[in-house]
Amino acid sequence: MAVQAIRPYEGLINRVHDIFSIVDKLPYRMSEEEVEGILHVLPSDLRKTMQAFLAPRVRKNGLDFVRMIKAWLDGAHEAKRTGKKVILVPFNFPPEIVHCFESAWPVTSEVLSTLGVTALEGQGERYWDYAMGLGLPDFSCSANMIEVGSCLTESDFTPDAVISDCFASCDINSKTHEFLARYLDIPLIFLEKTVDNSERGVRQYYRYFMAMIEEIEELLGEKLDPERMRQVVEYANQASELYWELWDLHKFVPCPVPNAFSIMTYGVRYTMWGTEEAVKVMRSMVETSKERLKAKEYPAPEEVARSMWTYTSYYFDMAGFFNWMEENGITHLGDGLDLVFPQAIDTSSRESMLTGMAEIARNMPMTRQMGASSMSVQWLEDITWAVNELGADCCIYCGHHSCKQTWSSAAVVRNELLKRAGIPTLILQGDSWIRRMTPIETLQELIEEFVNNVVRKKRRRPSREG
Amino acid sequence: MSVLQCRSTDIYTDYLRDWKEKGGRVLGYACVATPVEIMEAAGILPYRIKAFGHPDTELGDSYLARFNCRFCRSCLQLGLDGTYDFLDGLVETNGCDHLRGMFENWQYVKKHGFFHYLKVPHFVREDSLEYFVEELGIFRLAIEEHFEVEITDDAMREAIGTMNQVYARLKDLYALREQGKPVVSGAEVMQVICTGSSMRATDFLALLDKMVEEKARGPALPCKARLMLLGSATDEVDLVADIEAQGGLVVTDALCYGSRSFWGREGKAEEPLRNLAEKYLGNLFCPRMFTEYERRRDFILERAEQARVDGAIITYNKFCDLHGVEAVSLRNDLENNGIPVLVLEKDYGSQADTGRIKTRVQAFLERIEGGSRSKSEATHWRSKGE
Repeated sequence: MAVQAIRPYEGLINRVHDIFSIVDKLPYRMSEEEVEGILHVLPSDLRKTMQAFLAPRVRKNGLDFVRMIKAWLDGAHEAKRTGKKVILVPFNFPPEIVHCFESAWPVTSEVLSTLGVTALEGQGERYWDYAMGLGLPDFSCSANMIEVGSCLTESDFTPDAVISDCFASCDINSKTHEFLARYLDIPLIFLEKTVDNSERGVRQYYRYFMAMIEEIEELLGEKLDPERMRQVVEYANQASELYWELWDLHKFVPCPVPNAFSIMTYGVRYTMWGTEEAVKVMRSMVETSKERLKAKEYPAPEEVARSMWTYTSYYFDMAGFFNWMEENGITHLGDGLDLVFPQAIDTSSRESMLTGMAEIARNMPMTRQMGASSMSVQWLEDITWAVNELGADCCIYCGHHSCKQTWSSAAVVRNELLKRAGIPTLILQGDSWIRRMTPIETLQELIEEFVNNVVRKKRRRPSREG
Repeated sequence: MSVLQCRSTDIYTDYLRDWKEKGGRVLGYACVATPVEIMEAAGILPYRIKAFGHPDTELGDSYLARFNCRFCRSCLQLGLDGTYDFLDGLVETNGCDHLRGMFENWQYVKKHGFFHYLKVPHFVREDSLEYFVEELGIFRLAIEEHFEVEITDDAMREAIGTMNQVYARLKDLYALREQGKPVVSGAEVMQVICTGSSMRATDFLALLDKMVEEKARGPALPCKARLMLLGSATDEVDLVADIEAQGGLVVTDALCYGSRSFWGREGKAEEPLRNLAEKYLGNLFCPRMFTEYERRRDFILERAEQARVDGAIITYNKFCDLHGVEAVSLRNDLENNGIPVLVLEKDYGSQADTGRIKTRVQAFLERIEGGSRSKSEATHWRSKGE
């Protein structure tokens, strides 16, 4: 095994938590000079993130989001301090299930990796390198492996258990979770997605789901309390309603929803869904978008392209990605990770809430598409639906190198999107979390060429005028 | 033996041509989780898809990406270029993400009249076993309906019995390679297993009987070091032959075109579908099965101990998620049990990799030789778990 080379205070969670403790103190009201001054003193990697979150059009929401993340990280530390169990979950597992338990707190590996990439100088690459040093393959998923690498150093804040529901929808992440649990000698609770959309497959998934709940109860020594569940589910229902309101606002042309709301939406979804803080951030995004719609605000003179990102986006340069796109008239309507399909859950009984949460879990991103009876068919259906709903005129597949399941279906989805909806797809190659593979400047150039040479010539009629 | 398959030009064999000319049907499958007995009982020839290191992938690459395992891209290539046009249908399993992609794209282009997705759970528990029993029933029904055949319980029992005999005979063959003076090479065993997965079970059994008898009388093979080969799906006979050409004899394996395709395959239930569900789901020594690492490790250590190996080569195709992660733990566990390990990440079927592989194998053999000079025989093997 590799030599321990990272000191305790250098672990990802601890470092990110410290940085967010500072950022959290920023006031809502700041002059442009003050913002400039703040950005000036920040290390360059964090500056790119804060530049995106402190852009005037999203500043309030950015700060709301940062505060929510801080509260989430505080929750994890508080849980550790008070003897609760901190459970590592992947992004495709609904965290509200863990929030339903008094004695547990969820930490989401992909969100933590993203925070490491966006907040830490060096973008968390040291944790990736540590994992590679152990012999883990370089085609692992950086979304997971950056955070997992930090855990593997055993010098960081470590979870007490892992819940993985990547079984059957992502091999690399399933194996990574299994490896981490064995390495740290902590329990692994799993939920398999039956790759079967038939009634029988759904029934079986519900069985697996209920078995998983029992396992969590056993691990925690706590039975789910319907009252606490109801409170969590009610907050989740409110957030779901706001999600769909925000979704509808995307339909206007030009799009009044800032590009950065895409990542903020799922940043909320994958961490604090089922809490009051999540509702607050979702509401703030809806309000801002409505105000922008009313004022007919758009960051560029013209909206030249309405892009739907078919899977993930890029996260190692928030300003260079989200801000750059909209300042050049390229709207980011959302990506595959935004397709969380939230539904209102019936709160009348424990059973109705559990069934509702099972259905939510079954339809989380990646689980829903890659764990379907056919990966390409379900993915295509979802993207086609989103494209038509939101009036997208192009799609972009980020080509995150570790997503072998989406890579293996990308050609079919691209061909059929063009045939069925007349939508062209740009296929990029890179690592969404690691800048080493394809730098942001190259991505910008490729996106620009695609928009100028393909999309502009093929503009669709808007679904709604703003 | 010339009847044995070893390269991609051998895919459509004389045996198959004869079978097809007589009106026989052939179904293609790829994963060891596919219970071939159901196809056998339907009178169909179950053909395990192979590429034998086929180097071209240009058609496959139009659908799969360079981030997908090249074994799957090579198989897809042969599916799309017409090599596999003799198949009467495909049976998909969720073996891994790459394999699922391969099947989806193959079917997207070729549109076989029969295409069945057999969903195999990733863990063994009462509820997953029940689901798999039902799943096998659905598979059986799909074959009956499409091919207008009846698959009786008796026919299934007979097929199960024949396959059990095949497995027993394969174990005999393994005994000949694992013994003190091996008389059969690793490359030959891989050819036998690949060939057997392109034949009806009864014919394969006859071939095996003959081969085991002939080989048992054969001369001992030269051997500088006794090696175990384990890792991801590979049917690259040339790779094994190249390793053996360096002086290391592959005396046992844990490959899915090797021992993992038949070892431990036992079912207890009387009812045939349940028997098959137990036999297959309960004995899949594959990293696709989650939370079963210790079982796989013990299986590998048992094989290594049985064959008294001097070293192990863990090989996997670039981008193989399942084996890529598993290799880290296996390397540690094997080395902790006194077995030197070479982890060989490679590109499937790539001639460009040959030189590098030879160099690494040579260096590994030198390491083993050096190690054995400094160790006494008595301390060489430590029992597992120490």
